[in-house]
Amino acid sequence: MRKTLTVAWREFRHTAMTKAFLFGAVVMPILMMGLFIIVIPLMQTTEEPLKGTVIVLAPEDVVAVLQSKISEEDTTLQELLDKLPEIITQDPLAGALIPKKIETDLQISVAPDEDIDILKDQVRNGDYLGLIVVPEEIVQTEQSDVRLEVFIPKSFSPKHTDILTSLASKSVVDARLRRLGHDPDAIKQLTRRPRTIATRLSDDGTEAKDNEFARKIIPMAFMMLLWIATFTSGNYLLTTTIEEKGNKVIEVLLSAISPIQLLGGKILGQAGVSAVILCMYGSAALAGLLSFALVDLIPISHLILFVVYFVIAYFMIATIMAAIGSAVSELSDAQSLMGPAMLILIIPFALWPIISDQPNGMIATITSFTPPLIPFIMIIRVTASTEMVATWQIMLSIGIGFASVLVMVWMCARIFRIGILMQGKPPSLLQLVLWIKQG
Amino acid sequence: MTIAIELQHISKSFGETKAVQNLDLEIPQGSMCGFLGPNGAGKSTTIRMIMSIIHADSGSINVLGTNALDAKDRIGYLPEERGVYRKMKVCKFIEYIANLKGMYGPSLRKIIPDWLERIELPNVENKKCEELSKGMQQKVQFLAAVIHEPELIILDEPFSGLDPVNARVIGKVINDLHKEGRTILFSTHILYQAEQICDRIIMIDQGAKVLDGSISSIQEQFDPRVVQVEPVNKSISFDSIEGVEHSTQIERSNKVNLRIREDATPTDVLQRVVAFTPVISAQLARPTLDEIFIEQVARNRGADAADAVRMEFENA
Repeated sequence: MRKTLTVAWREFRHTAMTKAFLFGAVVMPILMMGLFIIVIPLMQTTEEPLKGTVIVLAPEDVVAVLQSKISEEDTTLQELLDKLPEIITQDPLAGALIPKKIETDLQISVAPDEDIDILKDQVRNGDYLGLIVVPEEIVQTEQSDVRLEVFIPKSFSPKHTDILTSLASKSVVDARLRRLGHDPDAIKQLTRRPRTIATRLSDDGTEAKDNEFARKIIPMAFMMLLWIATFTSGNYLLTTTIEEKGNKVIEVLLSAISPIQLLGGKILGQAGVSAVILCMYGSAALAGLLSFALVDLIPISHLILFVVYFVIAYFMIATIMAAIGSAVSELSDAQSLMGPAMLILIIPFALWPIISDQPNGMIATITSFTPPLIPFIMIIRVTASTEMVATWQIMLSIGIGFASVLVMVWMCARIFRIGILMQGKPPSLLQLVLWIKQG
Repeated sequence: MTIAIELQHISKSFGETKAVQNLDLEIPQGSMCGFLGPNGAGKSTTIRMIMSIIHADSGSINVLGTNALDAKDRIGYLPEERGVYRKMKVCKFIEYIANLKGMYGPSLRKIIPDWLERIELPNVENKKCEELSKGMQQKVQFLAAVIHEPELIILDEPFSGLDPVNARVIGKVINDLHKEGRTILFSTHILYQAEQICDRIIMIDQGAKVLDGSISSIQEQFDPRVVQVEPVNKSISFDSIEGVEHSTQIERSNKVNLRIREDATPTDVLQRVVAFTPVISAQLARPTLDEIFIEQVARNRGADAADAVRMEFENA
């Protein structure tokens, strides 16, 4: 066992204590955490106030609406905020991401009956903040091809532009309504959609607010975390095995330890690497959830199951990668064997939307008992379900998962024993099957 | 006599190719044994089976009274295909391999510089392996194979790739290890190397043993068909002497080799040579291992195969 641990420690050090790893697996998540905690609030720079006179070439009623609107509160932003869940709008950090209202102090000046080019020059020269041109046709009917035009100086900020264009277009709509004898404010109030809250009633009498965001994004985040942690270390396992074959050190190692000790050490060492990646990226994700006050969305039972499925996923991926790494002599040769494995393991990504929507549907149930998809599918199901996945299904998936790991370790060991000393042309899938029989 | 390595009826095939065929072998403890044969004879395959790196199709292998898997810590092995972790420091690489051989602790770190000094690689312990020349890397690999002071040392082509100076350094260390009582088995396809340092040789050809024994006993088995003469008169021709088939001047020497005809006896020819002209020395030439091996191949596989082997030895 001590020799296996010696190999594991070298494997871990060789992979995890390198500049590339430190940057990819440690610095990057820390930067992500920094982004959530420090950088995003700093990004909230205060926009310059919009002050000045806008010259308007428009029918009289439109000018009147514009005059009244510039003195009103801009409700566009409030309408957008109303659509966001409270959990975001009330969080200080998440709130920092929401655009701030821009201070405005605008005056409207009605254009004399002048050539429009002269007015444009005045805007260009800075005499006016902007020029709004509203043709009579677009007030009469919305079917007109004529456009409402807003002219602004070259350096005008995008947010200031939005304010002017929004002001102009809303004034046109209000003017149309007034011409037909309607009160625009009354219509706005009448058509404003009420906020709804869906509450799920459990059999045990408890109530819980439904959170669509959590149901869609969190399963994906869990699966991605599983993928990043297992595939990154699996890839390291593949490359270090090929490297040891390539630099011929493998025979020296095999003179000191058995192939199974070597394989065990390598898999254990990379398990440590995988755990580090998981911790770092998991911490970054947790920092994000804390920042948005969403941490309550993840019950502790999900985290425990995640760890169990991580163990299953890691050993499944590691055995596949170690078997491929031992069978080929060069990284480019590995691609031909990686293809079929990747095709299977990409299935959880393809099924994610379906399983998120129907976590207890037939596809979800069947694939959650199908190795090597089990851990990836189950973590989506567990985190997407509005109620807990049946305990027997969880237990069965874990049972099948660990049994599959044992079978895969056994097959990998047989391939490893034969492949590790092979050089030259990579074997076909059929040959790998023969190696499993012979090994 | 205690046996360090014992192989009984070992066979190994790779697909259609029979790499080793029904090989029996006994290597006594404390011996310095050369495992000889041309390229592709099956030496490395046999050694890998002895090391339990690959498994024999049939037969049994006993190493140090058990199998190699259980005795790995007592065996030092330098494989033919050598390698190091290029990014690893020399001392870390040696320490890692020693750890895998069951050697741990601070004493290991102390002996590494001494050993590096011994193989004439001072002050390299903190260099990365990739910073060393190929020859220096090979010496590091040799050190990694012997640093745990094994009872049995198996070296597969230990001198290949080394310049004469470094080959002499490694050769001296091998000799010292042998004098300390360790059993040494080393393979080579350059037979004169084995002739110089081995007390025992095993020759294989096409996976089968063709010779096994001490060098002197093997040489005695082969009737010398050459008389070596150093004449006083360097221009004299010996071709007219009865029983001499032809004569050959030895390069960079005043000596001449006289090949004896099949129907003549070496001692008669020797007497005729001494009577023919004054000589500084005249003796029956002992056959070299190359000659013995070629003759053995000729007996087993015919003249064409022997010629092919001769060509290979000349090119080695």
